[in-house]
Parts: sequence; structure tokens; C-alpha cells
Amino acid sequence: MQFEVMELMLNKKFSLFGIAAAAVLAISVGCKPTDEPTPDPDNGGNGNQSTAIVRPLPEAQGNTANGDTIKIGLIASRNGDLRPWGIDSINGALLAVAEANANRAEGEAEIELIIGDSNSKPEEGKNAAANLIDEGVVGLVGEVSSGITAQLATVAWERGVPLVAVGATKPDITHDRGNVFRVCYTDDLQGPVMATFAYNDLGLRNVAIVTDIKQPYSQGLTETFRKKFLALGGTIADEQNYNTKDTQFNAIIANLKETSPDGIFLSGYFNEVGPFVAQARAQGIDKSVPVMGGDGWDSAEILTSGGDAIVGGYFCNHYNNKEDREAVKTFLSKWDETYGGVPGTTMGALGYDAVGLMIDAVRRADEKSSPSIIDALENTTGYLGVSGTIDLKGMGGNPLKRAIVVELRPEGQMFAKAYEGSDVVGDAE
Amino acid sequence: MDLFSPHLLAESGINFSTLPSQLVNGLLLGSIYALIALGYTMVYGVLRLINFAHGEVFMLGAYTSLFVAWKQGFGQGVSPDQMPQGSWGLLIGMMIISMLVCAIIGVIIEFVAYRPMRNQSRIAALITAIGISLLLQYGGQLFLPAEPPPSISEKVLPDSIQGSYTMNLKKAPPQLVADLDAAKTKLQEIKDRLVERTTAMGISEFGLPDDDPDRVAKLETQDLVNRLNPQVEEQSIAIIVPKGQLVMFGTVVMLMGILWWLVMFTKTGRAMRAAAHDFESASLMGINVNRVVVITFIIGSALAGAGAMMNAVFIRTPLTPFYGFMPGVKAFVAAVLGGIGNIPGAVLGGLVMGIAESLIVWVGYSEYKDAIAFVILIVVLMFRPGGLLGSSKVEKV
Repeated sequence: MQFEVMELMLNKKFSLFGIAAAAVLAISVGCKPTDEPTPDPDNGGNGNQSTAIVRPLPEAQGNTANGDTIKIGLIASRNGDLRPWGIDSINGALLAVAEANANRAEGEAEIELIIGDSNSKPEEGKNAAANLIDEGVVGLVGEVSSGITAQLATVAWERGVPLVAVGATKPDITHDRGNVFRVCYTDDLQGPVMATFAYNDLGLRNVAIVTDIKQPYSQGLTETFRKKFLALGGTIADEQNYNTKDTQFNAIIANLKETSPDGIFLSGYFNEVGPFVAQARAQGIDKSVPVMGGDGWDSAEILTSGGDAIVGGYFCNHYNNKEDREAVKTFLSKWDETYGGVPGTTMGALGYDAVGLMIDAVRRADEKSSPSIIDALENTTGYLGVSGTIDLKGMGGNPLKRAIVVELRPEGQMFAKAYEGSDVVGDAE
Repeated sequence: MDLFSPHLLAESGINFSTLPSQLVNGLLLGSIYALIALGYTMVYGVLRLINFAHGEVFMLGAYTSLFVAWKQGFGQGVSPDQMPQGSWGLLIGMMIISMLVCAIIGVIIEFVAYRPMRNQSRIAALITAIGISLLLQYGGQLFLPAEPPPSISEKVLPDSIQGSYTMNLKKAPPQLVADLDAAKTKLQEIKDRLVERTTAMGISEFGLPDDDPDRVAKLETQDLVNRLNPQVEEQSIAIIVPKGQLVMFGTVVMLMGILWWLVMFTKTGRAMRAAAHDFESASLMGINVNRVVVITFIIGSALAGAGAMMNAVFIRTPLTPFYGFMPGVKAFVAAVLGGIGNIPGAVLGGLVMGIAESLIVWVGYSEYKDAIAFVILIVVLMFRPGGLLGSSKVEKV
């Protein structure tokens, strides 16, 4: 009897959610052709070099530099939740500008960096970008998060200026906008990298996925991870969601535990992942179940909030301070000279690379105008960045980067394994 | 039908074998909501004022605990090996200091912001409360360390409350459990050996060749664990509660007991009840209502301080100046749900909300976790406008 009532309630609820889901589906399907034209859904624009991606260019003509200085705009989160990454990206950008001005050849114009604050919010980032374009910047750089960058891309497209994203990994940001580029890898790389690592190197077959449903970044990463892991032959034990700023995960964990996954993939940011893993371990999901994530874990703070529980976890990152490459060493010594210590997050290096790439394009451009710089960016080959070599020619704005899996140790991040972009992308189909 | 048979209704994401632990989770979660809700309800009871800054007092209490922990050598940048041993004394000290600081902040807020507004219209006092709340949130950004959000190290916990208690409702075959434990121990041994071997070389285990015997053994053992684990899980039902959260629950119950005694059996408590019943008449009867108000703020804020300290230590969420916002909103809803102004109502409201949240996650709709509170609130207020235990007397505002 009891069950009848319960089932009745469930049916009712299901029909309600069914209607809602249908409505959402209808809306999203309705929008699809205009909003998300994917050149190649299977590898999300990060595809093989053989198929050069041609993207439309904006109609607006942007700005043209006149006078002795060329203005470049940087949008960064000086305040708000993303501040640790924002400040690092600003510091990296300032280093790149100082270096470019110091090494400037005879007759070359001085570069002036104007910084706008997005306050970690998409709308404020959009306004800041519009203001910078009004001030006459020939190109924009930013942001570290996909949500804000999507807004910057809209403004940049309307006004016809180039945009180089620093740390936005969501694949669709560069789609069909010939003026948008990035220096980081996309979730099309880091999701598959972690899936490959989990399947081949950790020997996991049945994993659970935990997503922060308030973050487009987390949702995107979950999707690419799931797809690759299933393609490799693995199964998904369970999928659970939480919201940004949640603190108590016991209920989700009890559900997860019952499905006894081999490993757990957490695609969110460190703020929630740390306490989540600590609570999961306390609830009996012991260390024989490895935890993994994306670059959202990249903060020293995860070791305090996650404590001993998160030690031994793995995540995907853009580069590692301990890498044995010349560019990394030079960058770190310059950073230490100017700010002391090492950058706390990878956004220091990516901010440096993004602004460096923009300046490089300005130097290569025939005219110091936005359309000409967009053309120069599109034709970038072999730019030597701190985070790896950047090729943009025919790539649809997404360089094929390498990704690094790091292991969390009590003393910090330990380099575990590097993946070249071509290792994992492509064989997802 | 066996109620505890696992994977019943599995298609709909409902699994009855996790129900017992979900109820316990809900109870633990609800106890913290209840503790914070008491602060809202007491102030409302006496002053008919919704103290929106209560969530911020909670936030400042958490920061106070953080600073005490840092002062005691658990600071940022200190490697966990060099941290001192955690102790009960430290925890109790943190709680008392946090309660004291919160009490002082609560009194200051009352004196500076609410007292001058007491004879003004009620909406003015309410706006002031919102103003103080925003002032503390955004002002806190200037002074409080929040980038990156700090959290309190788990090392402050003494060894005796690390780990968790397990209560088995249904046990898996002992042989299976023993096999799984052996496999897990072996896996950990291999991992330790790999770390030891590779650390000296400055690489990780993945730098070793794929056919390295330890790596092969590790993959095999992982596979064994992966095969045994689901079998054990399927055949057992257990409630696992972290010891820290049990301590937390015990402390909440104790604090509520003390509050009950204070309100029901002391002279001050009688004065508070009188002021809550009729503020004007109480003052005419010779009750020093200003003193009552101050004591109300002291008690309410101290409870928030205790809750904040326990939340920061046992749940270990990173702190930001907005740390108190969501718990504040939830606790406020809990207070209204139980009948604002009614002390047992606040406790009941908190527990109902905690359990409702756990159950909505249990049935697989975790994304509606925060919404369920408001749905329950609306439904309850439709049928009982005064809240679950409140008086349903219509009040002219």
C-alpha cells in the first residue's frame, strides 16, 4: 500500500519534470542552429591538422592604433571568487608587456596594457570589455573562466576586435567566431586525457562522475570525460550533481557509495572538491577509490580543505613548474625577480602566454588594426609559450596543446604523466 | 516485500538500502540549521526584528576559529608534518573564543544599528539589518583573508575523533569482507612501495616502464578490489558517520539543552519570555528590556559562533566573507518554517529542512536541493501561516 502511494507520487513528479525537461529540450533544440554551429561535433573543433577549420570573420572593423603606443586590453578578475587566478593572470600579462617593451626593435611602437576588472562576473566582464574597446584597444586578452570569456567573445565579435582567452577551456567559445583564440587546451583535451589516464594507467573500469551543475566549465568537462571513458570501454557507475558553494555532501556521497565505483571524477572547482573528498573518505569511500579532476583543482588550498583525504588524487593541468624546459625556467626566474616565489596557479604562465601571443601578432600584423591582427593570430605557427608551443593556423582558434596529469602529494603537485594533444584527441570517435 | 532489498526501484534512482544513512545525514545537517535558526527566532521573538546580519555573525565566528587555529601553529603554508598535535583543549578553546567574539559582535550590532532604530517603523529596522549584513559581507572582503579561500586544517582534530563510526544494519559474508580488506591492504602496500621507490628518483610511478612488476601488481590488485567492492556493497547496509560530526551533533544537543534551561528555568529566561510576550508591558512591569535584548543577542550570536566553529572544523569548507549567506538563508527559512519566535519550532524547522534536503538528494534530484526548502516553506505556510509550531494569529504589519 505504502509503495502504491509512493509510486503515485513518483509518477506525478516524473510527469512534472518530464514536461519541464521537454520544454527545456524544445528551447535548446530551437536555438541550436543559430547558437551553436559546431564544425565537427566529434572533436569539437580541436581536430586534426588535416582538416583546416575556416571560421567567419566579424564584420565590424575594430580599432586601429595611431601614435607611438599600441593599446592592448586585459580583462581579469581582480575581485571576487576568481581573484587568485585573476591576479596571477595580471602579473603574467605585466611581465610579458615589460619584456616586449624592453626588447622592442627600433621604430616599433610601445605596448600599453589597459586592465579591466570583471569582478569574476560575466556581465561585468562584458561591460569592462566594451569600455576597453571604446578606449581604443586593438585587441583583448582574457578571461580565466569560460563563463566570462563567452561574454567577452560576444562583445569582441560585435566590435570586430581579436580576443585571446587565457584559461577558458569550454570548447564552444571559439566556434564560428574567427576573431576568438585561446592559449590553453580545451575540455576536449583534458576530459579525454583524464579518461585515458583513469582507464589505462589507473586501471579503473567503472567510475562515478560528480558535476557542479552551476558551472558550464564543470558540465563541459564531465561530458568530454564521459564520452571518452565510455569509448574506451569503461562504464559510468553513477552521476551526481551539486551546486557551487555547497558545503555538505553527505547525501550525495551516500548515493555514490552504494554504486561502489572504482574511481570518482570530480569536474568542479577546488572550493567544493576539497571538502567533498574529505567527506567522502570519512563516509567510507577509502583510498582504494582514486579521485580525479580537471584544472579547476589547481590551487594549493585544495590540500588544506581536502586534507589527507585528497592526497593521491590526480588532476589535469596546463604545465608544471618543475618541467624541464627552457621557457619554463626563464619564465619562473623572471617571475621570482619581479614578484618573488613562483606563481600560485597556472594562470600566471597562461596570462603571460596570452599577452605574449597578442603582442607577437601585433608585431607581425601588416597594419596595426584589429582585422590585420586577427589575420596574424590566425596564421600563428610555432609560438614558443611557457605552457608549450602554440600553433593556430587552421585550428579554429584552439591550439593543440599538451596536458599534464599531476598527483597531489602532501608537499604539493607531483608531475605524473604528460599527454600530447594528438595522443588522446581523435580516437574518441 | 523486503524494504531493505537493494536496487528496489533502481530505475528511478531510488535505493532503499541508503535510506537509513540518508536519514542520519539529514539529522546531522538539520542540527546545524537548527542551531543557527535559534538566533533568528530568539531575536524575532523579543524584538519582532529579522536579524539579517545573523549569517554574517556566523561567518565572523568561522573566521575567528580560523585565526585561533593559525595562531596555534596550523597556519597556511605550514606543512602538515610540522603542525602540532590537535587536542580537545584546542577545540574547546576555539569554540569558546568563537562564541565570545560572536557574542561581542552581536551586541555591538544591536547597540550601533538596531537600538537607534527601535522606535522607528519596523521596515526601517529591517532595512538596517540588510545594510549591516551587506556591510559585513563586502567590508569583510577588505580585511579578511579570502583569496584563496582559507580553511582550517584537519590536524586540529585530536586522533580520537579522526575517522568514522560504522553501524552495520546488514552484514556481507565475512569471507568476502576479509578478502576485500586483504586486497585493499595489499593495494596500499604496493602504492606505498611505489611512492618510496620513485620519490628517490624524482619521478612518479607513471615514469616507470609499464611492465614494472610493482605497476603490474598494482593494476591487478586494483582490479581485484574493483570486483570485490561492489559485491560487498550490494550485500551490506551500513550507516557510516564521521566521528567529528557525531561530536558536532552531541554539542548541538547539549547547547540546546542549556538554552532550554536558560529560557525556562532562570529569572533571565522568564524576563525574556515576558519581553517576547509583550515588550511594552514587560518594561512597565519593571523588566529591564534593554538588558533582555542584549542577553538575547549574546545567546543567539554565541550559538551561531559555536555552529560556525563546528562547521569550519568538522565540515571544513573554505571560508569567504560570503560564508554565512547560504546557511543564514537556510536557517532563516527553518525558523519561519517552525514558527518564527518559537524556540522548539526553530529546532523542528531545522531538522525538517535537513532531512528534506537529504531525501531529495536520495531520490536523485540533488539539483533541487536548495529549492526544496522553499517548496516546503510555501506548502507549510499555506496551511499553517504561523509555521509548524507558531501561533497562527494574524498579525497586522
